[in-house]
Amino acid sequence: MASKVTERALNLVKSMPRVGLGNIKDLPTATYKKQVNRGRRQKKKGRGDKGQGSRNTWDPLGYEGGQRPLIDSVPSEKYYGQYAIRRQYPPISLLELQRMIDLDRVDVTKPVDIVSICNTGLFKFEVAKNHFGVNITEEGCDVFAAKINLEIQWTSELVIAAVEKSGGTITTRYYDPQCLAALFNPLAHFKKGLPIPKCKLPPQDALAYYSDPEFRGYLADPEKILLAREKLAQKYGYKLPDLGADPVKDLLLMRKDPLQIFYGLEPGWIVNLKDRCILKPKDEDYLRYYYNVH
Amino acid sequence: MFRRQSALILRQFNSVISDVCSPKIQTACFKSHTSIDKIYPNSNLDYLRKPEQVQDSFAKTGSPDAPEKFTGYIPIEQLEVTATRSSGPGGQSVNTVNSKVEIRFHLESASWIPDWIKPRIIEKAEGKLTKDGYLVLRSDMTRKQILNQADCMNKLRNLIFAASTLPKPPTQQEIKVKEERLAKAKAGVLREKKDRALLKQFRTSPESF
Repeated sequence: MASKVTERALNLVKSMPRVGLGNIKDLPTATYKKQVNRGRRQKKKGRGDKGQGSRNTWDPLGYEGGQRPLIDSVPSEKYYGQYAIRRQYPPISLLELQRMIDLDRVDVTKPVDIVSICNTGLFKFEVAKNHFGVNITEEGCDVFAAKINLEIQWTSELVIAAVEKSGGTITTRYYDPQCLAALFNPLAHFKKGLPIPKCKLPPQDALAYYSDPEFRGYLADPEKILLAREKLAQKYGYKLPDLGADPVKDLLLMRKDPLQIFYGLEPGWIVNLKDRCILKPKDEDYLRYYYNVH
Repeated sequence: MFRRQSALILRQFNSVISDVCSPKIQTACFKSHTSIDKIYPNSNLDYLRKPEQVQDSFAKTGSPDAPEKFTGYIPIEQLEVTATRSSGPGGQSVNTVNSKVEIRFHLESASWIPDWIKPRIIEKAEGKLTKDGYLVLRSDMTRKQILNQADCMNKLRNLIFAASTLPKPPTQQEIKVKEERLAKAKAGVLREKKDRALLKQFRTSPESF
């Protein structure tokens, strides 16, 4: 025997009127094509009376009846080019850097990078303004005398010569904007509780510069850098120091990994300032992500 | 207050960084998939070491028959480099800054120049030699001492290279071309002479015909 529910349903259906065209309706979401020009009298085809509208002789777009159109009135000048997307490296001179060192604003017994320079408070850059790091300029190349391990983003041959003449090392290094934001204000970055980002490789137009041993790029071949140092010493007429077992040699050779942005801290770590500890990922996926470029 | 706190924290972190990445455990530092030793596996990362043979990297290749060549390498420790004030306009900076560079060395006792080049240098740079035999080169081309020193080095290197260039012996092709041209010129002269002789003959009476 059928259940009560099914019995009731069947009775309902039996009592209802027959389905026909007169008692069914489409869903509210149904769409209909517009009925265009169908019917008995279609003389104007929806185009109205005379004029450009019915004769298809419209003026070209932007035409102002013979008056100089807006697009023609202002000339196009290409001298700005792609200034809005070009990378910028705000400058700081060797003289300023020497002054910072002399006044103990920068500690030369540790590697000096953009973080140390920004921590002095005397140099600032803005990632939002396409600033991609610091550019060391030539003023003060005669007076520069500091054995420094310097890591910057842009420089010239003369600056490299001045730094190496006084017994230091210099490296040009690329940081992508996300990393730069962390580097400019590490404290603010750590307070957000975000992991240390891994640095991206330079874009195509910058790759040549950062792989060039002449500019001491961080992606250059160390053997070629060795030769480039000798070549520069011969060009500018100074002798390179022979650091056999000098302990300062280890300091001068300290380099970050291409994906690393802080000395001693790895990408993926979270620096917990409140509890004064560092949280490191253990998951394999995370480790793989922070270990590889892609 | 907050700024000083932040400075303290950063200084403490700096000390953490120095302990972690101290020279003794430098090898324990982070090395990713794209570390330099993986990109260049055959390269020695210590580029502050003394290179094995520096002079050869500047050497110009020469034939076995040619005499010892100047490689371009100048030992700076064997030169006397002094800086003095430059001449010309420039106000306080030109009066006080030692930007002019003078390089001098005793030419005959220089072991880094092959002996056969030395008399040629004396020929080329007579005015730059002192009575005692010192070659003196000066430069105050720029406002920076380091660039003026580079200019002096450049001048010295160019001088020695210019003095050491031997006239190139002509190649077989060059000899052949020269001989052909000479023969052609000679043939042209002889033709002209013959034409001239014929003309003179036509002016005389036709006895011989």
